[in-house]
Amino acid sequence: MAELVAYIVAGLATGAIYALAAIGFTLVWQTSQTINFAQGEYVMLPAILILAGVSFFGLPLWAAALLGGLVFVAVFGAGFKIAVVDPMIRHGVLPLAIATMALAIIMKEGAKDFFSSEAQTFPSPFPAGAVDILGVSLSIQHIAIIAVAFIAIGMLQWFVSRTRTGRQMQATAQNPGVALILGIPVARMVMLTFAINAALAVLASVLVSPLYLAKFSNGEVIGLFAFIAAIVGGFNQVRGALGGGLIVGVVDSLAAAYISSSYRLAVPLALLVLIILIKPEGLFGRREERRI
Amino acid sequence: MKPVLQVTGLRKSFGGVVAVDGVSFEVHEGEILGIIGPNGCGKSTLFNCILGQLVPSAGDIRLDGVDVTGSTPEAMNRRGVSRTFQLLQVFPELSVRENLILAGQEHRGTMLARLFGPGDAGLTAEADRMIGFFRLVHLADARAGSLSYGQQKLLDAAMAFMAGPRLVLLDEPAGGVNLTMLADLRERLRAMNAERGATFVVIEHNMDFVMSLCSRVIVMVEGKVLMTGTPAQVRSDPAVLEAYLGN
Repeated sequence: MAELVAYIVAGLATGAIYALAAIGFTLVWQTSQTINFAQGEYVMLPAILILAGVSFFGLPLWAAALLGGLVFVAVFGAGFKIAVVDPMIRHGVLPLAIATMALAIIMKEGAKDFFSSEAQTFPSPFPAGAVDILGVSLSIQHIAIIAVAFIAIGMLQWFVSRTRTGRQMQATAQNPGVALILGIPVARMVMLTFAINAALAVLASVLVSPLYLAKFSNGEVIGLFAFIAAIVGGFNQVRGALGGGLIVGVVDSLAAAYISSSYRLAVPLALLVLIILIKPEGLFGRREERRI
Repeated sequence: MKPVLQVTGLRKSFGGVVAVDGVSFEVHEGEILGIIGPNGCGKSTLFNCILGQLVPSAGDIRLDGVDVTGSTPEAMNRRGVSRTFQLLQVFPELSVRENLILAGQEHRGTMLARLFGPGDAGLTAEADRMIGFFRLVHLADARAGSLSYGQQKLLDAAMAFMAGPRLVLLDEPAGGVNLTMLADLRERLRAMNAERGATFVVIEHNMDFVMSLCSRVIVMVEGKVLMTGTPAQVRSDPAVLEAYLGN
């Protein structure tokens, strides 16, 4: 029993990280119909940039994290929107999706060529060790990751639902044409969404890299699981991405522990197929009407 | 009465097709002006040009005497022009109250308040007054997407008036609305004009609705103004009857 609880907590920790990436997926999709297939690489790269800041420029870790995070948000948030999304979206969703796949390859190969092909240790912002809760030994790191991710998601949810800018972001996602007529700065709202997506990726990167090391190929699994999480939870709801991320994390953790670590990737994919067949709008998503 | 809107020689063409051809008219303070005409005569294109969704090919548009030809929809909104659409255009996932607050908030506060200010922008009381005015009190917290078609039309109209604009353009407000809701909508629009002095232009196919609501009616045919007159004059004009019914 204690072992099961420990696996579930470990799954919730990785699931919370998938949720951060999945929320970025859904936000960007809702405001600009962009499916960012480089989302996994978005989580991989900030850790590499931070380590590069430490090893190449001799920066202290906190300064490298701050600088690396800001550079990443500017380049892969605003820069991505201007250089990739704006020119490509005019030609439809599919060319843009392919462009993001190309971006993923460039980010991955770039990290390998310009930094390292080896996995690098990334310092954890949280203390190592375990705490005993009701007879179950739980990793402090896992608990801290869950707490930080939930605080970040809670703040984002508050921002989106309670502030004026957040409501404008919702309006932009739901009906950009009318939002424009009402005087809402739609272009600025879309840009803000891309910046938030990049910031969530930086946070996810800092949380996940101490667990799985910083490596150029990390994005493959994280991107896949975040995509599955967004679909399982519901692509049109932030709470869907959160729920989907946690479910995928726990399923992945239990599959690795009790089925086979060789087939752990297959279990979330099977879950994805099942959800698409039974509830295509996702477990927490809302059915969408389209006028044709 | 001084004109709120002056449209002079407005023309809009798409390639070889002239959708609006030299249209001129004025809308006066506190007036309800109707625009009627067969499908495809250029009524909605005219609205799109006035609101800045389309750039006119020629002519000019003045709001309170200021040339606003070619302004963006965002700029026109800030100058106090709002509109509704033929097809419903509410924010389905937001509540009725949130829709109304959103419709009014861009006109309020400083840049800082716009970015980080409270979600209601100090507009909850005004939104609730508008909800009461359009008799949507029991639906104030309901998701807009869950309202009936007629109720959403009422909400759509309420949103257009929320910011207290100088001019509202209503594009087929009665389209698809049942008779009971239609009477309600007409009464609310009349009250909005009488009690708040709202100025608006209505495009509509429902003749009874237009004739009973508007003080003046413009008839458009093939992108041009065929005639302008009172509802009684329009009803009895042989050229209008011919345009609608043929020889």
